[in-house]
Amino acid sequence: MSDRLFRRAIRLGSGLGPAAVAALAATVVATVARLLGPMAVRFGIDQGITVGDRGVITVAALLYGGLIVAQYFAQRTSQYAVAWLGQRFLTQLRSAVFAHLMRLDMAFYGRSKAGVLVSRMTNDIESIQDFAEEGAVTLVTNLLTIAGVAAAMLLVDLTAALQVMSLIAVLIVASWLFQLFAGRAYREVREQIGRVLATLQEGITGVRVVQAFTREREQAGAFGSVSSDYLDANMATARAVAWYFPSVEILRIIGYGVLLFFGGRRVISGDMTFGTVVSLLLYLDWFFAPITNLSNTVNQMQSASAGLQKLFRLMDTPPAVVDAFDAVDLPDRLGGRVVFDDVSFGYDPNLLVVQDVSLSIEPGERVAIVGETGAGKSTLARLALRFYDPTTGTVTLDGRDLKTVSGRSRSRHVSLIPQEGFLFNGTLRDNLHYARPDATDDDLWRVCAAVGIEPWVRALPERLDTLVRERGSRFSAGERQLVALARAMLADPAVIVLDEATANLDPETEARVEEALGTVLEGRTAIVIAHRLRSAERADRVVMMNAGRVIALGSHHALVADSAEYARLVSVWERGILR
Amino acid sequence: MNRPADDHDDAASLTGLHEADARSGFRLLTSTLAHYRRDLALAIGGALLWMSMVVAVPYLVGMVIDRAITGDAHESLGRLVLFLLGAGVLLGIGIGVRRYFSFRVSYGAEVDLRKRMFEHMQRLAFSFHDVTSTGELMARASSDLSQVRLIYAMTPITLANIGMFLSVVVVLILVDPVLGAVTSLTVPAVLVLSRSYARRVIRLSYELQQRLADLSRVVEESIGGIQVIKSYGQEHQEQDKLDQAAFKIFDRGVKLAKVRSRFAPMFELMPSIATIAVLWLGGVRVVAGDITLGQFVAFTQYLAMLNFPLRISGWFFAQLPRATAAASRIQTLLAADPAIADPTEPVSLPPGRGEVRFRDVTFGFAPGSAVLRGLDLAIPGGTSLAVVGATGAGKTTLAHLIPRFRDVERGAITLDGVDVRTIALDELRREVAVVFQETYLFSASVRDNIGFGDPDATDEQIRLAARLAQAHDFISDLPAGYDTIVGERGHSLSGGQRQRVALARAVLRDPRVLILDDATSSVDAIVEAEMLAALEQVMRGRTTIIVAHRTSTLALADQVVFLDGGRIVAMGTHAELLAAVPRYGEVLAQAEASR
Repeated sequence: MSDRLFRRAIRLGSGLGPAAVAALAATVVATVARLLGPMAVRFGIDQGITVGDRGVITVAALLYGGLIVAQYFAQRTSQYAVAWLGQRFLTQLRSAVFAHLMRLDMAFYGRSKAGVLVSRMTNDIESIQDFAEEGAVTLVTNLLTIAGVAAAMLLVDLTAALQVMSLIAVLIVASWLFQLFAGRAYREVREQIGRVLATLQEGITGVRVVQAFTREREQAGAFGSVSSDYLDANMATARAVAWYFPSVEILRIIGYGVLLFFGGRRVISGDMTFGTVVSLLLYLDWFFAPITNLSNTVNQMQSASAGLQKLFRLMDTPPAVVDAFDAVDLPDRLGGRVVFDDVSFGYDPNLLVVQDVSLSIEPGERVAIVGETGAGKSTLARLALRFYDPTTGTVTLDGRDLKTVSGRSRSRHVSLIPQEGFLFNGTLRDNLHYARPDATDDDLWRVCAAVGIEPWVRALPERLDTLVRERGSRFSAGERQLVALARAMLADPAVIVLDEATANLDPETEARVEEALGTVLEGRTAIVIAHRLRSAERADRVVMMNAGRVIALGSHHALVADSAEYARLVSVWERGILR
Repeated sequence: MNRPADDHDDAASLTGLHEADARSGFRLLTSTLAHYRRDLALAIGGALLWMSMVVAVPYLVGMVIDRAITGDAHESLGRLVLFLLGAGVLLGIGIGVRRYFSFRVSYGAEVDLRKRMFEHMQRLAFSFHDVTSTGELMARASSDLSQVRLIYAMTPITLANIGMFLSVVVVLILVDPVLGAVTSLTVPAVLVLSRSYARRVIRLSYELQQRLADLSRVVEESIGGIQVIKSYGQEHQEQDKLDQAAFKIFDRGVKLAKVRSRFAPMFELMPSIATIAVLWLGGVRVVAGDITLGQFVAFTQYLAMLNFPLRISGWFFAQLPRATAAASRIQTLLAADPAIADPTEPVSLPPGRGEVRFRDVTFGFAPGSAVLRGLDLAIPGGTSLAVVGATGAGKTTLAHLIPRFRDVERGAITLDGVDVRTIALDELRREVAVVFQETYLFSASVRDNIGFGDPDATDEQIRLAARLAQAHDFISDLPAGYDTIVGERGHSLSGGQRQRVALARAVLRDPRVLILDDATSSVDAIVEAEMLAALEQVMRGRTTIIVAHRTSTLALADQVVFLDGGRIVAMGTHAELLAAVPRYGEVLAQAEASR
């Protein structure tokens, strides 16, 4: 993990300092207690067993027992504290990343894939989890242990310690090589499992097309080849593992051999006590375990830092639309005059989607924006919601530049009705409350009645408490649309931007939605992104757009007479009507 | 509240399944493993070698001490150490062989099972996929399969561990019955502890996974509904939901940490506790001359060895019911009936112009509730038929019966005089191409998506099909033309563009019969106008069945059939029906009223 990344991660975990200090202290106590154990054994052997002093043996046993109890509690505290810290850090990280996502503007959402954003909040944060939960404590404990064991061995016997440590150098080189190969192999495995799952998912979601074109065998073949790549990647890690772990074990036994051979000769010649050899043998095992543990931790660290990097990149994306520091609230009652003054906008400043648009929409007026796909209809309408800020020019609401108005008060007065009625997981009541959290049940029933769904809701088994399931999947598209209309009505905005659905509902529902829309738009300024002749006819004025510019403006009848482009569009629409 | 079905599932997997399920799961586990007999034998062999050397090393260490260091045979020190090193090499070989072949068994079995599942899923009929969610199938092939793989990976080491454990106990008792008996006392303690630990950790990890899935749902929803959130300025409400979900994860995570921190140090210290006993009791016995110093040292090492195998075995037996439950779910999927299969003796399709006949066709999704009742219909080869009706009238069902996405309940459908159920599926579906209501494009290039219908198609043929479907122009304008990657992970196409690619994909096969299921429903009038031109082209001289409720599309058809209540109410040209059937006019007028 690079230094900068690490420091930034530390900053994210602000407020966790004291807990971290406590965790570290507990870890140190545990490690020291562990390292003192073999000393007690040596004391027992040399001062007790070899001289035949039972009293000393008992003291040594008690001493050892005390160290174990101390170690247990210290280790328990340290492990818990570190995991708690890790979870706390992840919670703060989740909250911070999501808060940033919520601040980001619609232009950002326009250019990002939903799946990628979801995976930032899930896979990438989870990739940090292993390290945060146990990796950190493994890292600290093992580093401390290695340092402690080295110190203890040197203290016990300098010569024997240096002999053993020359083996440790070999072990470190072997671990480094393993890291090099296995790291690459694990990355490959991660990539391949991603491909396997993606192919699998496509095979399932596209199964109808596969069967329609009888490509089952080819699909299975393609899946088979992805699968064998996955297997190959795993076998590459298997080979690395099958070389590394045996080498570690063999080195450990060589360590025994070295200690016994050279140590044994010194015991025979009387240079060294027997207890020293036994304690060194005990230390030797503790030297090996931490190094192999660390090589596992390095993997966790690599995937954690890859995840953090992606998250930081996301958090470095500045939101393009933010409240000005001196933003003001709009008054409670609003007329609803929307004025576009020489507005241009492009997601990419060199590619304008809306160009030099000046348009004044009177309070209570209904304006339909028409034009081909890609003409800029939807972008222009959304500028009134301040989903984007104009590149040049201003959008004003009752004379106030939207950039100077607080987001909270703007959203009370300007609402969007999207193409498809989007419902959140929860009850119908939750979904309606979305528009006005303080609305009473009477208010809710009133808007349900206004859009004509009151009898339907009353007939549901749990009425307003009915769960809509994921994205409202319990209801039909028409029902969802009607609930979304009731929600918009409850918000009671002065301005509504309506993105008309292109897909047809069944005729009866369509008629109900149409009627409800009439009620909801009544008395409000409405900007309708229109796809239908009927919507254009019903509007007070029609704005015809082409390549980002307004090319005609006026009532439907006036435009049919005046604008050749509009007349052509109308004739296309009419061809769809009964001949 | 969160997915009670899954919680129930899990409860069953932890507390024991229905016996039949457990048996079928276990059979799948063992039968799959049978393919890896050789690798499994090698893995177990490696594990046994490793295990016996692990037992031998402390014994040799004890011997070095007793004979060469504290004993008199000082000159044998070098030789005995060499023995020790030899044992070390064998130990290394054993561990390498065990690990490598355990990988082969577990990943090989995982991949095999997943391939089997994939192939089977591809064969399962529409009726299966109608009621099974993608998430459910993905769970079978990922998380359930991981459970199975884990148990396979642990099988060789567990078997070897049980052997090792038994031999250590025997060695201990042989060396010194008193010390052996005392130290063996730690065994039941470790076993009991590790089982109860594993059970708790597995349950809590599962709950943690569930909470993670909940959070992922919150995020998906917030991103999917970002327009609504921004429009109502409710970012803070979403933040609350997220924070709650994150807190639940925190809560489970900390609970898990609590259990782990309570148990893990205990396992680690278990051998040390026995070391106290050995230090004291053993020390006293050495002083009394009952055992040697070397034996004393060997004891402390054996103790350390008992711990790990017991823990692994505890894990294995706690994991086994979970893996069996997962395997039984996989087995249920693999045993699902494909419902629609190739006829045993297929009749080959004679040349023809694609005449389709329905004879007294009845179909229902559930027995007793027919969607189509006694339908008789003839579509002469090379002509087009539009199907009109209110939602739920059975239009799509009617279309899906021809390429046998579903089979008729009663009656028969013939293509150029041959019952479709007697034609090989491959041949039938080659001649009957479908453009679905919901266009599905694969994450691949436009070329591959169009060529999906015919892998042997040349670039020239693909371009021709694209031109026919009026898709060539916009494809040429894409950043990489025909090589542009589209689909879920590629360039986003508009609804109308996607539908034209799908249309090109269907006409590439030059089928006798083309079925267009509401192919123009989700596009606006302008795009529809472009689509109509494409449709007119591809329909020329080809039997075409169009499900539609837009009059502009209906006007293209030679005949229109009006369905209501599962029956044909009227049939004729669009104009005839308008004149003769008031209800037909009503349905269309209602549709038009909303345009």
